[in-house]
Amino acid sequence: MSAILEIKNLNKHFGGIHVANNINMSIKKGEMSAIIGPNGAGKTTLFNLITGFIPSDDGKVFFEGQDITNTRPETIVKLGIIRAFQVASVFLEETVYDNIYLASLAHFNKSAKIFADRMIFKDVHEHTEFILKKLGLFDCKDLKASELSHGDMKALDIAIALTLQPKILLLDEPTAGMAPEERFKMMHLIKELHDYFKLTLVFIEHDMDIVFSIAQTIRVLVQGQLIAEGNPDYIRQHEGVIEAYLGKEVF
Amino acid sequence: MRKIKDYLPWIIYFIFFIGLLIINPGPHYIHLAARIIIYGLYAVAFNLIYGTTGLVSFGHALFYGIGAYVTGMLVKASTPELFYLYILIGAFGAAFISFFIGLLTLRLTGIYFTMLTLAFAQLVWGLTFKLYHFTGGDDGIQAIAKPTLLAGGVTKYYLFSFVVVTISIYILWRIKRSPFGSVLSGIRQNPQRITFLGLNVYKNQLKAFIISAFFAGIAGGLYAGLDGSIHPDMLHWPTSGNAILMATIGGMSTFFGPVVGAGILTGLEEIVGKYTEYWSFYIGIVVLIVVLLFPNGVLGIKKFTGSKNIEEKEKEVVCNTGN
Repeated sequence: MSAILEIKNLNKHFGGIHVANNINMSIKKGEMSAIIGPNGAGKTTLFNLITGFIPSDDGKVFFEGQDITNTRPETIVKLGIIRAFQVASVFLEETVYDNIYLASLAHFNKSAKIFADRMIFKDVHEHTEFILKKLGLFDCKDLKASELSHGDMKALDIAIALTLQPKILLLDEPTAGMAPEERFKMMHLIKELHDYFKLTLVFIEHDMDIVFSIAQTIRVLVQGQLIAEGNPDYIRQHEGVIEAYLGKEVF
Repeated sequence: MRKIKDYLPWIIYFIFFIGLLIINPGPHYIHLAARIIIYGLYAVAFNLIYGTTGLVSFGHALFYGIGAYVTGMLVKASTPELFYLYILIGAFGAAFISFFIGLLTLRLTGIYFTMLTLAFAQLVWGLTFKLYHFTGGDDGIQAIAKPTLLAGGVTKYYLFSFVVVTISIYILWRIKRSPFGSVLSGIRQNPQRITFLGLNVYKNQLKAFIISAFFAGIAGGLYAGLDGSIHPDMLHWPTSGNAILMATIGGMSTFFGPVVGAGILTGLEEIVGKYTEYWSFYIGIVVLIVVLLFPNGVLGIKKFTGSKNIEEKEKEVVCNTGN
C-alpha cells in the first residue's frame, strides 16, 4: 500500500506551547487508523493543520504526492480530504435531507447556480438518498437536524462528510458524549463505511475498546509529539505509551 | 400541495397591489402604496444579506442612496426620457461600490462588520453634504422630471414601480430558492461547515452583498422618480436602520416578511403621523410590541404553530438504527 497522506516535520506553536512537535507520519491508502492521546495532546490541532484550518509554523503536508501545506481549507476539501467534527457540525435549521442535499450540491459543483430551483437536480437527489440510506438516516430525513438525538447528529455530521466522497476521511471523536450502546453502533457504522467505500480513515478516539477493536494502525500523540506508531498489539505493549497514557491498570 | 403553498404569498401580493388599483382609493393612497412597494424591494434586497446570509449590514442606505442620487443627477444633467436607463445605471453604480465595500468589510464578522458598514455609509452621507455644487448638499436635488410616459398622475408611476419591483423581487425569490441561496442560508447557520464542504464563505458573502446592493439601488432610483426629489436623508443611518426594522418586523426568516414590514412601518408613519408629530414615539411602541410578541416577525408566526407533533417525536427512535 502506498502513502496517501504524508506529514513531514510538522510544527505548530500556540504561544509557548508546542502543540505539534516535529510530527512525521505516513498514512497508507485504505488504512483504518486511530490517533489517541491524552487531552491537549494536539490531536484536533493535527486535523486542523492537515485540513488547512490553521497554518503551520514549519514542515510540510503532502497529499497524493502534492504539497498542500498552508493551502486554503476549501481547496483541500476539493482534493478529497474531508473531516467531521468533535461537536457535530450540521445545519441545525434544515431537515436531515436538506443537510445532505446541500452537501451533495457542493459535491456535484452545483452550489454556484444562482437562478435554478435547487430541487431540480436528479443526480443530487439520488446521491442524497443513497447517503441517507447508507448511514441509516433515511427514516428521519424530514426531521430538523436540531431535533435529532446526539448520536444521530454525529451520524449526520459524518454523512455530510461522506457525501463529498472523501479520499481520506478524518473523524474527530466520532463517539464523544455518547451512551455505550450508541458508541457500539457508531463503531460498527464506521467499520462498515470503511469497508464499503474503501476509505482511508483516520479517527481520533478516547474509547480504547473501539480503538483496539477496529484500528489497523494506532498513533499515539503526547504533548504534541508522536511517541508511538504501530498495530494494536505493538501499541498495547509499548512501554512509553503505557507510561504516558494508557496506564497499567487498563490491561 | 407544496406548489400551491409556495406560490400563496405571490397570489396575496398580486391581489393586494393590483386590487388597490381597482379599488382606486385616490392619489394619496396610491402614492402611499408606491412608497410601500419601493421600500418593500429595498427591504427584501437587504434581507438577502440579513435574514438569509446572517450579516447585519448597517450601511444599506448607502446603496439605496447611490441608486437615488445617480438616477436623479443623471436626469438633471440630461433628459428625463432616459430615466429607465438611469435607474439601471444607478443600480450598477451601487453594485460597483458594494464590491469594494464588501471586499473590505466582509473580512470582519459580527459587530465589527456592522460598524464598518455604518462608517462607510456615514462617510458618503457626509460627502453629499460637503459637495454642495455637485449633490445639492443639504437641499438635495428637487424637481427631477419624469419621462413623458410616466408623467401626469401617480397611478402610472405606481404601475411602473409595481412592474419593476415585481420583476426584482421575483429574481431575488429565485435566488433564495437556488443552490446559491441554500449556500447563503448555510453560511448563516454554520460557516465552518460551508468551508469544509469546499465552498468559499467570503466569496459567496460578497456575491450576496453585491446582489443585495444592486436591488437596493433600484429601489433608490425608483424613489427618486416617485417624489421627483432626493435628499441626503436617504443616505443617513436611519434609512439603514429602517431596512433592519422592516425585515425584523415582517419576519427576516421569510421571503415576503420584509414587504409586510415595509407596509407596517410606512402605514404606521402615515396613520400616526396624521394625529401627532411624535409619530416615531408610537412607532417605537409598536415595534417593541411586535418584537416582544413575535420574535420571528409577523410572517414568522406560523413557524410556532404546526411544528413537531407527537408522531414526529416518535420517529427519532426509528432513526437511530445506524443501519
